[in-house]
Amino acid sequence: MLKSLTNIIDDIGGGMIFLGETLRTAFRTPCTYESIAEQIWKVTIQSLPTTALAGFFVGAIMTVQFTMQIQTFGAIGYLGGLATSGTVREIGPLLIAFLLSGKVGAFTSAELGTMRVTEQIDAIRCLGANPIQEIIVPRFIGIVISSFFLLAAGLVMSLFGGMLLGVVFSGISPEEYLHYIPAIVSMFSIYSGLFKCLVFALLLASVCTYKGYTASGGAKGVGRAVVSTAVMTMVGIVVADWITSLLSETVLTLFLGGTA
Amino acid sequence: MIEFQDVFKRFGSNEVLKGISFKVPQGQILFILGTSGTGKSVLLKNIVGLMKPDAGAITVDGQLVSSFTEEQMFAVRRECGMVFQQPALFDSLTVFDNVAFGLRKHQPELDAAAVRARVEECLSLVHLGDISHKRPQEISYGMQKRVSLARTVAVSPRILLFDEPTTGLDPVTTRAINQLILELSKKLNTTSIVVSHDMHCALEIADRIIVMDKGNIVERGSPAELKNSRHPLVQDFLKEALNAEIAD
Repeated sequence: MLKSLTNIIDDIGGGMIFLGETLRTAFRTPCTYESIAEQIWKVTIQSLPTTALAGFFVGAIMTVQFTMQIQTFGAIGYLGGLATSGTVREIGPLLIAFLLSGKVGAFTSAELGTMRVTEQIDAIRCLGANPIQEIIVPRFIGIVISSFFLLAAGLVMSLFGGMLLGVVFSGISPEEYLHYIPAIVSMFSIYSGLFKCLVFALLLASVCTYKGYTASGGAKGVGRAVVSTAVMTMVGIVVADWITSLLSETVLTLFLGGTA
Repeated sequence: MIEFQDVFKRFGSNEVLKGISFKVPQGQILFILGTSGTGKSVLLKNIVGLMKPDAGAITVDGQLVSSFTEEQMFAVRRECGMVFQQPALFDSLTVFDNVAFGLRKHQPELDAAAVRARVEECLSLVHLGDISHKRPQEISYGMQKRVSLARTVAVSPRILLFDEPTTGLDPVTTRAINQLILELSKKLNTTSIVVSHDMHCALEIADRIIVMDKGNIVERGSPAELKNSRHPLVQDFLKEALNAEIAD
């Protein structure tokens, strides 16, 4: 028990130092735009079909759930606004984070772990280059930027999925579904969703690059790094979601009078 | 010149280097022999700062590299090329881009044609034909080792460090790699340290040989001196070398 706790504290401390080193390197000795663009392209293309599909069904689920609740109050006209607001503020960023964690997080951790155990990272150092600058910074920035593209794609698809189910399941027209979206989905909801997306992406990028970069012990070590990445990002995202929700509510209460 | 002065290194309770001291003058080839787990690879990694000694001093051309920071080591590593036990090629890059990696990094003034010419020169130096468009996973293990060697020499280092360069290779490729080490050292006048199990090869191409056992140097000298050693481990290595010679 004590050992597990020590390991967790050790991991968090190591991860924070690694994040600091990554950010310092990104500002002091930036990598090439080409390498960042390559990573953005790779991550976005890798996750786009799954994100789009999941986004479509999240919109559909939200519509079905809200229909059951609001039909009782005769407020079916607000269906589109409520479902979209929930997706933008909460479910969208969370969904993107979980999907990226499963696909990109595991992939990046395995890729870097393999580079570590096959001495490729040591080879980069021996060629007089900085591996943080060469392989970590492009992946880190790539994951963070891609998550916003994927969030946008996921939200568009969720809107489409929600609207389709609104027509088929709830019997409202597309115009009715879209009508109250601008009124209910405030700028604060959008900022809140973007902030969450940024926090989750930073968390995921830090964990997967750190666990992969510090992998040791051959193929088993790479396996351990991937599992550890999955567990740490899932738990971390849920905890970060709670903290960011709390922060959003505090900002809302203090500065916007509690309405968004 | 490379110099070790009373270098110690420990991993937990396991003391891997127990006060190692030796010198390698410019242009010489030093072979470090020993059974597995005696700290030979750790010794090499300490020179290029992939590991830091717990005590003692390591100097490379008069610079006390054992006290250098990671940033300071970048400049030292440009002068010290290291060939790893595994080929350690970047598998997302082609053979060409692997060999060109260091050139593009440290000589950005070179245009594409100059980089191509240097890459081709290095590949021909390790007796490889036109494989520059292939990826590391598309060529044999022996070829990967040679590409790794070409990548290391491409930036013209003054010191070459080889970590078991012939492990896992067939006898023909082993001989070819050993011959290459000799050729490169003479052609480029580099100082070389070769970590190996291969006494037969050491006797053929080394200027000096060190034999390590359990973190200590148990014997040192020229190939001729080593042949007369009475140390049991050296005797074992010599028997292996004799068998290899008979097999040849």
